[in-house]
Amino acid sequence: MTVDESKPADGAPSISASASTAAAAATTANVSSNVTSPIPGASSEQLKVLATATTTDASSAPQKTGSVKPAEASGQRDVPVIKRKLNGYVGFANLPKQWHRKSIRRGFSFNLMVVGAKGLGKSTLINTLFNKELYKLDTVPKVNYPDLEQPVDVKIDTVSAEIEENNVKLNLTVIDCPGFGENIDNTDVSWKPVVDEINHRFDQYLEQETKVNRSTIVDNRVHALLYFIEPTGHSLKPLDIEFMKQVHEKVNLIPVIARSDTLTEKEVKQSKQLILDDIKNQGITLFNPPIYDNDDDETVSATNEMAEKIPFAVVGSTNYIQTPDGRTVRGRSYPWGIIEVDNEEDCDFIKLRQLLIRNFMEELKETTAKVSYEKYRTGKLLKLGIQQDDSVFREFDPVLKQEEEKLLHEAKLNSMEAQMRSIFQQKVNREEKKLQETEADLFSKHKEMREKLLKQIKLLEEKKKELEGAQSKSQQSHKQQAYASPQVNNAPVKTRKGFLR
Amino acid sequence: MSQVATANAEPIGITNLPNQRYKIVSKEGATFTVMLAGESGLGKTTFINTLFQTLLIPHQDNRNRFSKPIKKTVEISIVRAELEEKNFKLRLNVIDTPGFGDNVNNKNAWQPIVEFIDEQHSSYMKQESQPTRTGAKDLRVHACLYFIRPTGHTLKPLDIEAMKRIGTRANLIPVIAKADTLTPNEMLEFKKRIRAIIEAQNIRIYSPPIETDDQAAAEHAKQLIESMPFAVIGSEEEFEVDGKMVKGRRYPWGFVEVENDQHCDFRKLRSLLLRTNMLDLILSTREIHYETYRGLKMNGEVGSESPSKDSKRKSVDKFVDNPEFIEEEKRLKRYFAEQLRNEDQRFKQWKQNIHTEKNRLNHDLANLQGDMKRLEEEVTSLKQEKGYE
Repeated sequence: MTVDESKPADGAPSISASASTAAAAATTANVSSNVTSPIPGASSEQLKVLATATTTDASSAPQKTGSVKPAEASGQRDVPVIKRKLNGYVGFANLPKQWHRKSIRRGFSFNLMVVGAKGLGKSTLINTLFNKELYKLDTVPKVNYPDLEQPVDVKIDTVSAEIEENNVKLNLTVIDCPGFGENIDNTDVSWKPVVDEINHRFDQYLEQETKVNRSTIVDNRVHALLYFIEPTGHSLKPLDIEFMKQVHEKVNLIPVIARSDTLTEKEVKQSKQLILDDIKNQGITLFNPPIYDNDDDETVSATNEMAEKIPFAVVGSTNYIQTPDGRTVRGRSYPWGIIEVDNEEDCDFIKLRQLLIRNFMEELKETTAKVSYEKYRTGKLLKLGIQQDDSVFREFDPVLKQEEEKLLHEAKLNSMEAQMRSIFQQKVNREEKKLQETEADLFSKHKEMREKLLKQIKLLEEKKKELEGAQSKSQQSHKQQAYASPQVNNAPVKTRKGFLR
Repeated sequence: MSQVATANAEPIGITNLPNQRYKIVSKEGATFTVMLAGESGLGKTTFINTLFQTLLIPHQDNRNRFSKPIKKTVEISIVRAELEEKNFKLRLNVIDTPGFGDNVNNKNAWQPIVEFIDEQHSSYMKQESQPTRTGAKDLRVHACLYFIRPTGHTLKPLDIEAMKRIGTRANLIPVIAKADTLTPNEMLEFKKRIRAIIEAQNIRIYSPPIETDDQAAAEHAKQLIESMPFAVIGSEEEFEVDGKMVKGRRYPWGFVEVENDQHCDFRKLRSLLLRTNMLDLILSTREIHYETYRGLKMNGEVGSESPSKDSKRKSVDKFVDNPEFIEEEKRLKRYFAEQLRNEDQRFKQWKQNIHTEKNRLNHDLANLQGDMKRLEEEVTSLKQEKGYE
């Protein structure tokens, strides 16, 4: 029967070997005990212990192969999960719809960072993207002559606006970094303030998240970063590469080739390839529009088309122009023709807007929160010396829980008992000692008094004897014996402590 | 200039943001934890099986329910399921509390329920504060259905005590079980009485929000609020009515339909739990109940062990509060008190013995003294005799 008990160990390949040897040992032991051993109980008992030990091991083993986490080592059971597809209308499939409504009610917010050298049309593009004058555009660009000796400081400028479309509200914040890339020596100064700003915004969020009251938490994290690449027709510049390397793990990086109307179609194609090669070679990750499980074919191909256009070659313009065929379009008019912003033939503006706003704005926020921020947070907390405790991640098991509590309780009870026992013992000992002393005192006093009396009696007797002479010698000796006898009786009493208890 | 022909421009795409949220939620599915509280025999198991239209919890064998009264089983049982409806995945946890209120002495019977809710908040808090926290196990209770016995009278003290404590920790939804045992008039009266008690006792129950910007939704929410506590009947059996299969219970005097608003509030409760207010249940748990616990815990740790400060929630440290454990501790104390009494008794006896012995010895000394006196007298008289001689 002990053999049967070791059977559940079958599930674990590494352990089944030892289990079967235990089983084998059990059989032989049982056989031998049947025949020879005068005490069959002993050997089978030992094996029982062995068998149960292997079964508990086996129950935790199927959870994970390879490295055993501490949580699993502590004997976590497998949690059964019922899996079912429902045919009738239950109603929980309505949850996305509930979210839909809720999200409109709560409104949306988005923080977009734009980085790129001056004069690449960042402000114009933002205004074009959101069809709103977020930046006042000077008709005549301010010309200031910078002191070439003095390094240009990179500043952080934010602009916010609420944009509404069909009752859906978006709180947009655009973070601009003027001064980026304007120094002759751009090795360190240019990108550092930008990276600091991204980190600072993460830190701010982390701090809010750690506070007691989190109801007023504001998300200022950078959800996407538009990086403007100069339309040189060549590959990336060292500053571009350095910057992208610094930020690509912290933000959703979306590169755009600015002012692409200066490049011919062929040049754009070439330039894109060169840029993508650089990005790939440098191990830089860009935001890649995801394909969801239940996307239909149309959506999948639309998403793929968007992805293919990265880096987006764009032209921005908020100016409306009359085309020769009578349409009013946003675009730029040249003697040789009109480049239309909202025309996919002319540039990738529409694709960029689809990715950034129409299709993946929420996804950008989602990845920021769940991937970029979490990564930053993990690093930060570990650096602060907060240690990861994986044991808190185990599945709640009421049985295990109860056992643990019981153990804790028993330990507490045991220490309580020990403490109470020692107090009890102390009290008893003290009282006992006191009584023993009283007792000893009593006997010793009695002894003293008695001896004193006996001495006096002896003296008196001697005196009496003296007085009586030899008259009644026989009577005297008789009396002496009578006094001496109680003394013999009492002798052992005085030596033994606590005799009277 | 820039505003001239806005109408011609393509939409920015902000309109589509709610749809993006929709897609993300659809992709991720949801986790929902519902707790069933109330005495056994009120149809908790049947209700949950009816609600999800599938056998999630097997019925306990009634013959065995009381056969082992000594061995107390676990007070909390969890059924985990992954259900899929129209491609939407729900990770459902059903927390059952078998044996709630089944004992002769139901003092503190609510303890395991309340502890479980707190425990899950505590566990989530610990997980949430780890440097790496992906894959957190979330068993925070989004809704606690409290089943009330359809007595037609009033709430029991146990119900009031339990509901008071649950209401401050989770979304409490009171439910009148086995509603087919009360006539419509009786039910109306019973509901009124329960609502009065809930108000008088300050019991916090879940109330769906009334969104003023959506007339239809607000109307629906009002209806739900008015129907509380929901009177429900459950049935896993289907019967044919007018060619359709309908869930219900057949009596000799008629047929009770689960999904008939004239017969019971099952549909309303289902709407509240799943169809219209599931998100609100989830969000209010996360944003109100969990945050309340977290705030108390964080403040409590600052003020350490001042009992007055968090007397409302002293069970944050669990083991102190388990009544059974407290009972055992008391027993231990009593044992030692008795031992001490026994010892005292012994010491008393000992003192008594000492006293007796003292008397005996004094008596002995008195005897000797007597002897001595006699001798003295004899000697004196002898001396006198001598003197006369």
